[in-house]
Amino acid sequence: MSIFLDLVIGGVSVGACYALIALAMVIIYKTTEVPNFAQGEMAMVAAFVAFTMMDDYHLGFWMSATITLVFSFLLGCALEISFLRPAKDLNILGAIVITLGAEMILYGLAGWKWGANQNPFPVPFSEYDGFRIGSALVTEINFWTFVTSVVIMLLLFLFFRFTKVGVAMKAVQQNMFAAKAMGIPTRRILTFTWGLSSMTGAVAGMLIAPLATLDPNMMLDPMLKGFAGAVLGGMTSLPGAAIGGYMIGLIENFFGGYISLEFKSVVAFAVIVLILCFKPSGLFVKHFERKV
Amino acid sequence: MKRLLLCVFAILLCIIVVIPVYSEDKVRGVTDTEIKIGQWGPQTGPAALWGAVARGTGVYFDLVNSEGGIAGRKIKYYLRDDGYQPAKTKAIGKEFIDDIGVFTVVGGVGTSTGMAVRDSLMENEIVWVGPLTGSDNWTEPLQKYLFAIYPKYTDEAYLLTEYTAEKLGKKKIAFFYQNDDYGKEGLKGAQKWAKKAGVKLVAEVPVEVTDTDLKSHALKMKQSGADAVIMWVLPKHAAIILGTSKAAGFQPQWVACSTLSDSAMMYNITKGLWEGVIFGNFLDMDNPLIKKYKAAQEKFAPNEKYTGVFFLAGFMFAEPMVEGLKRAGKDLNTQTFVKALETIRNWNDWLGHDCTFTPTDHQGMKSIFVSKCGPKGEPVRLSDWITFTDDKK
Repeated sequence: MSIFLDLVIGGVSVGACYALIALAMVIIYKTTEVPNFAQGEMAMVAAFVAFTMMDDYHLGFWMSATITLVFSFLLGCALEISFLRPAKDLNILGAIVITLGAEMILYGLAGWKWGANQNPFPVPFSEYDGFRIGSALVTEINFWTFVTSVVIMLLLFLFFRFTKVGVAMKAVQQNMFAAKAMGIPTRRILTFTWGLSSMTGAVAGMLIAPLATLDPNMMLDPMLKGFAGAVLGGMTSLPGAAIGGYMIGLIENFFGGYISLEFKSVVAFAVIVLILCFKPSGLFVKHFERKV
Repeated sequence: MKRLLLCVFAILLCIIVVIPVYSEDKVRGVTDTEIKIGQWGPQTGPAALWGAVARGTGVYFDLVNSEGGIAGRKIKYYLRDDGYQPAKTKAIGKEFIDDIGVFTVVGGVGTSTGMAVRDSLMENEIVWVGPLTGSDNWTEPLQKYLFAIYPKYTDEAYLLTEYTAEKLGKKKIAFFYQNDDYGKEGLKGAQKWAKKAGVKLVAEVPVEVTDTDLKSHALKMKQSGADAVIMWVLPKHAAIILGTSKAAGFQPQWVACSTLSDSAMMYNITKGLWEGVIFGNFLDMDNPLIKKYKAAQEKFAPNEKYTGVFFLAGFMFAEPMVEGLKRAGKDLNTQTFVKALETIRNWNDWLGHDCTFTPTDHQGMKSIFVSKCGPKGEPVRLSDWITFTDDKK
C-alpha cells in the first residue's frame, strides 16, 4: 500500500510539471494550431536566467523568478516577431519547422553561454521535508509544484473565458481573417500568445530544475512528456491538457513501479498512439470540428 | 582541345599513382620536427562536461613541447569536437586518417563514439592510446594498435562491490545502472563478484539516459531493502536519485563508479547530498605531478573554466603515450612505437598506477582506489590502490 501512495505522489508531482508544459503548448496551439517544439528549450533558457540571477547577481529566489517571468515573456514575443512573423505564406508545417529551428538555436546558445555542466538550482522549498499522507511523504516542492500548476491552469482558464484579450486570442484561432476584419490586432495578439506561453513554460522550467539539476538537456524529456500529455488531454483544451499531463505522470510512475522500469519512458508514447487511434482530438475535447 | 584534356588526365593519373609510392617510405604524421596527434572530444552537446579531457591533453602537449618536445620533435595536436555523436566521430576519424594524416590518436570520450572509428583506425594501423571509457571493447579481443588505460568497468564494478561487501560490511547490495553498454558492463562486474561470493544483488535497477523522473526507481530500491547501492550512471542521474531517494526516506550507503569521481562537482550539484558517498578513482590527485600540471594549465590555458578530475585525466591518458614516444626515440614509426609501448611495465611516473602493456595484454591499468566524499565535498582517500588480479577473473 505504501508504495502505491508513494507512486501517486510521485506521479502527481512530476505530472504537475508535465501539465505546465502542456498548458504552455496549448496556449500557442489554441491561437495558431502550431505545436511549439521550442517550448522546452524556452523554459530551459528561462531557468538558466533565474539561475544566473541567483548565482551571479545574488538576488533572492522571488526577485529572480519575477525577472525571469518578464524575461521569458519578452523571449516568447521576440521569437514570434523574429522567426514566425517574417515567414511568408506560412503554413502549419512551415511553422513547426521554424519552432524546431528556434529550439536548436536556443539549445546551442545555452550550451555556449552556460556550458554543459549540471548546476544546482536553489529553491525556497525543501526537497526532502514536508508532510505525510499515510506513510508517504509529500515534500514541500512536490506540494507547491502541484498548487502552482493548478493555480496557473485556473488563471489561464479564466483569462481565456472572461478577458477581452483571451476572447480575442480564441477569435484569432477560429478565423484569423475575420478576426482582423473585426478590428482585432491579430499580429499583436499572436505575439502576446507567445509571451504568455513562454511565461507558463518558464514556471515549469523553474520547478523542474531543482529536481532534475539544471543543464541544457534538462527539458528534453519533460517537454516530450508535456506534449504527450497535451495530446492525451486534447490540444485545444486547457484543463484537458493539464489533466493529460497529470495522467502521463501517474501512468509512468505506476508502470515503472509495478511493471517495468525499462519501458517506463516509452509507455507515455504508447498511450499517445492509442489515443490517436481511438480519440484523436484528445480525451477531454468533446467535439472535433473542422473549421471551414 | 582533346589532346590538352588527355594531357591533364595523364598528369593527374601520374600524380595519383606516383605520390603514394613516394610517401610509402615516409611515416604518416611524423617529420624530423613534428608528430601529428589527434583527439576527438565532446566540446558541445550532452556530454560536453567530458570535453575538458581533450583540452587537458592539449595543455599537456604544450607542456611537453615547452620542455623541448620528444626526440627533437614537437607535438602538433588536433582537437576535434564530435558532440558525442558517433556519426561525427566517424567523420573525424576519416579526417584524421585521410586529410590530416595523424601519426597516432589519444584519448577520445565515449564508447559508442570510439566504436564508430575503432575498426578504421586499426585497419589503417593508427595507434590509439587511452580511450576515455572502461569498455571491454578496447581489449577484448586484443587489438594490435589499441592501448587501453582506463580500468575496465567490469573490473572496477567487481572491486567496488567486493569493497562494499567486505570492507563496508554491507549485506544487501543493489545496483543502479544506465541501460546501455556503460551501465551493463558495470552490472556484469558486480554480478560476477556476487556469483563468486555466492550471494545475489538485491535489486538491479536500470535507468534510461533521457529519464528525469526517478521516483519509481528509488522506490524499487527502497522496497528491496538494500543497505548499499552501487551506481553506474551519469552525474545527472546520480544527483537526481540521491535527492529523490532522500525524499522517499531511503538513504543507503551510495557507492559510485569512477566516472563520478569528481567529488567537488558532485557535492555542488547534489547540494551537499554527496557527502559520505564512496567512489572509485583512477587518478591520483595527491600525486606531486598535479602541482606541475596545474601550473601548466595556468600558463597555457588560463581561461579554462573546468580544471577538475576530468581535465587532469586529459594529462593522465596521454602520459603513457608520451612515454612510448620517448622510448621509441628518433626512429619513430608505427611498429617501433607499438614495440616501445609494449616495453612499459609497472610504470608509475604518471597520475595513474602500474601502467603495463605486454604484446598479449593491452589493458594498461587495472587498479582503482576508493575515496569518500568529505563534509565540504573534498575527497578523503580510504584505500590504497586495489588491483584486479588474475585470480578474480
